[in-house]
Amino acid sequence: MTSIAFWYLIRATGLVSLVLMTATIVLGVVVQRQRRLPGLPRFGAVALHRSVSLVSALLLAVHVVTAVVDSYVGIPAVAAVVPFTSGWRPAGIGLGALAVELMVVIVASSLLRGRIPHRLWRAVHWTSYLLWPLAFVHGLMTGTDLGSGWPLVLALGCAAVVGGTTAVAWIGRTSPPAERAPAALASSSAALHHGTHVAVFRNR
Amino acid sequence: MTSVLSTSGLFAAPGPGLPEHRATFGPLPVADPVQLTAAAELTGRGGAGFPTAVKLRSVAAAAAAGRRAPVLIGNGAEGEPASAKDAVLLSRAPHLVLDGLAVLARALGAADVVLAAPARLLPGLAARLAERSDGAAVRLHPTGDGFLAGEESALVAAVEGADPLPRSKLVPIRERGVGGRPTLVQNVETLARLALLARGDREAAGRTLVTRRSQVNHAGRTDVVDMPLGTPLGEVLRVDGAVRAVLVGGYHGTWLPAAVAGELPLDRAGLEPVGATLGAGVLAALPTDRCGLRETARVVGYLAASSAGQCGPCLNGLPRIAAALQVLARREAPPPQLLTDLWRWCGLLPDRGACRHPDGTVRLVASALGVFGPELRLHASGRCSATTARPFLPVAGAGR
Repeated sequence: MTSIAFWYLIRATGLVSLVLMTATIVLGVVVQRQRRLPGLPRFGAVALHRSVSLVSALLLAVHVVTAVVDSYVGIPAVAAVVPFTSGWRPAGIGLGALAVELMVVIVASSLLRGRIPHRLWRAVHWTSYLLWPLAFVHGLMTGTDLGSGWPLVLALGCAAVVGGTTAVAWIGRTSPPAERAPAALASSSAALHHGTHVAVFRNR
Repeated sequence: MTSVLSTSGLFAAPGPGLPEHRATFGPLPVADPVQLTAAAELTGRGGAGFPTAVKLRSVAAAAAAGRRAPVLIGNGAEGEPASAKDAVLLSRAPHLVLDGLAVLARALGAADVVLAAPARLLPGLAARLAERSDGAAVRLHPTGDGFLAGEESALVAAVEGADPLPRSKLVPIRERGVGGRPTLVQNVETLARLALLARGDREAAGRTLVTRRSQVNHAGRTDVVDMPLGTPLGEVLRVDGAVRAVLVGGYHGTWLPAAVAGELPLDRAGLEPVGATLGAGVLAALPTDRCGLRETARVVGYLAASSAGQCGPCLNGLPRIAAALQVLARREAPPPQLLTDLWRWCGLLPDRGACRHPDGTVRLVASALGVFGPELRLHASGRCSATTARPFLPVAGAGR
């Protein structure tokens, strides 16, 4: 393959992986808030969240392999896993290596979900909020044309979406169990007394 | 103030101190609790009535299989507001409870021995522990006054330092409890009876403590009695013309009409035909000047607010049921579908939670709707047979 084709491939897989990571975060918050996507049952949102994240991981793998194989810039294979050992833009590539490792840990923990303690899975899953900024800053530092034009608009758009989604997730955190029973009782009593339909309890 | 009426069996000692305990009961012999409880067929006094020997054997087996020393917890949490027997036992005869813990700890080789009790009882218990030579081995743990505080897995969670919420029974407590170790949880009354069995008292397993709640001269009275199993209810609790119905077993128990309740023997064989169990040993005689529906509505409202908030049946079912009972307790015709909906919700709850809270509450509601059926019709026509709105059954741990 010619060098320019490699560059296109690296850039394309990187950008699309970032977009899919953004979609993964949005879908993850949809799952956390027990909402549905229009036309799909609730397990559809869960399944999409898994599939999209796995596709983004696959694209990430292609991105890393292509970047190492490409001889135009000198990125040794070890730089993909050991941070800051690259000859070219060590800082930016280093952040990418950290992102790759974090992605591997998150995906592995989710594939092993049910076999590892639930608290461990949750703790690892929360670090996906760290994964996105790592990938984003890596893109800004190593993306050769991310400084202007449509790639910048795309990246900033993804950043805005992730920021807004994170805010929604933070504000709508689940209430601790001790508060749920009185809340459920209050809303059910009010609804029954007014003769309105008693809704299914939403844990928010 | 809760009084104790019998001075035999568990309350034979004149005082709670160690000298009186030794003088009345003698020293604690070395004993094999598994053999003792199996021979005497001792069952647990925490409400479930599970055979104690089976529980002891399974914890010992789990400890041997996993090669981890078990944890022993004496359960004095008594989350049931209407029950007072555990608090009275821990105040009046704590050394029997501590003897029971000592026997089990020695036999099981327990790594950790915990006595869980409400915080207000702990100073007294600490003083009793100080009197004993083996007192340092027992750790005291304060429990809250939530209804679920005494549930086995909630208690294990509390002892571990987490929120006192019931956990899934997929891996039972007897295999993995406090700190991952096999854990044995025994009600304090069971422990006290084991201490009597160890001393050769063969009647101990055939008796049980009962909390009686009644109204005498327009004042509520609560006391605790040590009675033989199988005693007719009418001999333990006065059921006369001034009593409308009897609540047997506590807030997860059953209402029984006064006419039927009097002759019932208070044991499993006598209560099962009417769908009741002795449970935590609460017998409450509802006076005729109170409304059974209003009392039940208050209790179920408390039960709905006391749920752990973890499972669908308690978060979706109990609030609806509690709200529906509030509507039925009013002196007005209810919406036409309400009773049908209430029965449907009751049918949806059993066997679907991490613990038996929804099951027990539904049993109480179903028995109330049956026993107070005439009251339902009266309310629908705008009347009520009660002459006072004063509450009879306690809720929220206040005013036991």
